[in-house]
Amino acid sequence: MQTEAGPDFTLDLRGESCPYPVIYTLETLEGMKKGQLLHVITDCPSSFRNVPEEALRRGYVFARDPVQNGQEYLFYIIA
Amino acid sequence: MTAHSQPRRSLLNRYWHPLPTLLIAGALSALYFGLTGTVWAVTGEFTRLGGQMLHLFGVDTSGWGYFDLVKIKGTTLTRSDGWIVWGMFAGALVMVLLNNNFRIRVPHQKRRFAQGLLGGVIAGFGARLAMGCNLAAFFTGVPQFSVHAWIFIVGTGVGTFAGTRIITRGWWKGRPRLSAGYVRPTAPRGGRIQPILGAGLAGAYAALTLWFFLSGQTMLGMGALAGALFGVLVERGQICFTSAFRDLWIMGRAVMAKAIIAGMAVSSLLTILAIGVYGIPPITQVAALGTVVGGLLFGVGIVMASSCETGMMFRLMEGQMLYLAVFIGNIAGATLLAYSWDHGVYNLLVAGGQKINLVGLVGPVGAINLTLALLAILYAFIVVREKKHLKAGAKSAPVPTHKGMQDHAN
Repeated sequence: MQTEAGPDFTLDLRGESCPYPVIYTLETLEGMKKGQLLHVITDCPSSFRNVPEEALRRGYVFARDPVQNGQEYLFYIIA
Repeated sequence: MTAHSQPRRSLLNRYWHPLPTLLIAGALSALYFGLTGTVWAVTGEFTRLGGQMLHLFGVDTSGWGYFDLVKIKGTTLTRSDGWIVWGMFAGALVMVLLNNNFRIRVPHQKRRFAQGLLGGVIAGFGARLAMGCNLAAFFTGVPQFSVHAWIFIVGTGVGTFAGTRIITRGWWKGRPRLSAGYVRPTAPRGGRIQPILGAGLAGAYAALTLWFFLSGQTMLGMGALAGALFGVLVERGQICFTSAFRDLWIMGRAVMAKAIIAGMAVSSLLTILAIGVYGIPPITQVAALGTVVGGLLFGVGIVMASSCETGMMFRLMEGQMLYLAVFIGNIAGATLLAYSWDHGVYNLLVAGGQKINLVGLVGPVGAINLTLALLAILYAFIVVREKKHLKAGAKSAPVPTHKGMQDHAN
């Protein structure tokens, strides 16, 4: 998998407030080819919960556990 | 556990699930009512703040009917409702700082500020037209058995639905920054100073609260204490009434909506005791055409602004700059309502209304039974909506296979 090779896309959501982080993440994943890796950078605290939960609820798989990076979270989601 | 729990963290250093958070908030608001005879509310105070700002600019509001209704006395620092507001800000800020989570967060799409301001004005206007926001006309209105809260909920439900039809349009939503490959996240900076500031603020605020009690200003002390606790709860639980409606409509996400209903059920049970056993009169607001219109406007406004009046408060403390526009909008909207009150709004939308309380209508036992039944119906509606949405939007792989992430989501 591309997990080791680095992400195919990065979604930079820094500064964006809810609900746009979830909406953007799900829309981006839908537009990607199956198996591609999305890297999400987000700093809206509500998105720390709703982005991973909604991605999981739709059956997407996380390539690795979420990373807390200072006031940001990083997600690695397989489309 | 939450999606962001790291190995072992103290209770104050992780986010709380909305369900226990709202159960506590519901119990706390009933207790606050039992002790003070008033409810957890914020927008009434926003209206007073707006009025007093007008006074600063030399506007004479002595003849304004709405300000007589919400009673402007003293300053925001000598009102217990004022301390609910400042306490919520303080409690939320302390939690943000203790968690080294403050950061100036600025949306890269400048349209968000216009959206926040416009939505804030509409929500502020609508909330005051209905005599309360998601608190007094909703979370703390239902447990007072005031019929206006139920009318407001229906109005807000329809309004938020309409709002989601607007904000999911391309011209409103805009485009994210999406790039091929890897983009470097921000290098984390030393996280020592924020927790120290947070502890200092907590200490100073606790001393002030104690002083209120010791100097006999019990109501101010109660407001300051309850406000701070509410602030801690909404920030740690990321309690967002807007998301409860909006995310249900957009993506069938029901975590917040279910938790709010559970919180209101607990609050109603405790409040009926305060009313029935201790004889404290429930707080009833006028139910009128204005309640429906107010709920609709509030619903549209909070979705446009990405937040209601309470969500705005903790997000502003996180440094989300969008919510400065929302806060200004909320106060402006509430003040605009106060102005229009005597210029047609009262006569058109409120004059024919009546204060109706379920306790007066069907007695305390009937009131609690009816309220719990209505909450159960609302809960069932949400569950149906959640299931339906998931079926329609489910991807081909229904079950996540990555074990680690499964644990994270639960």
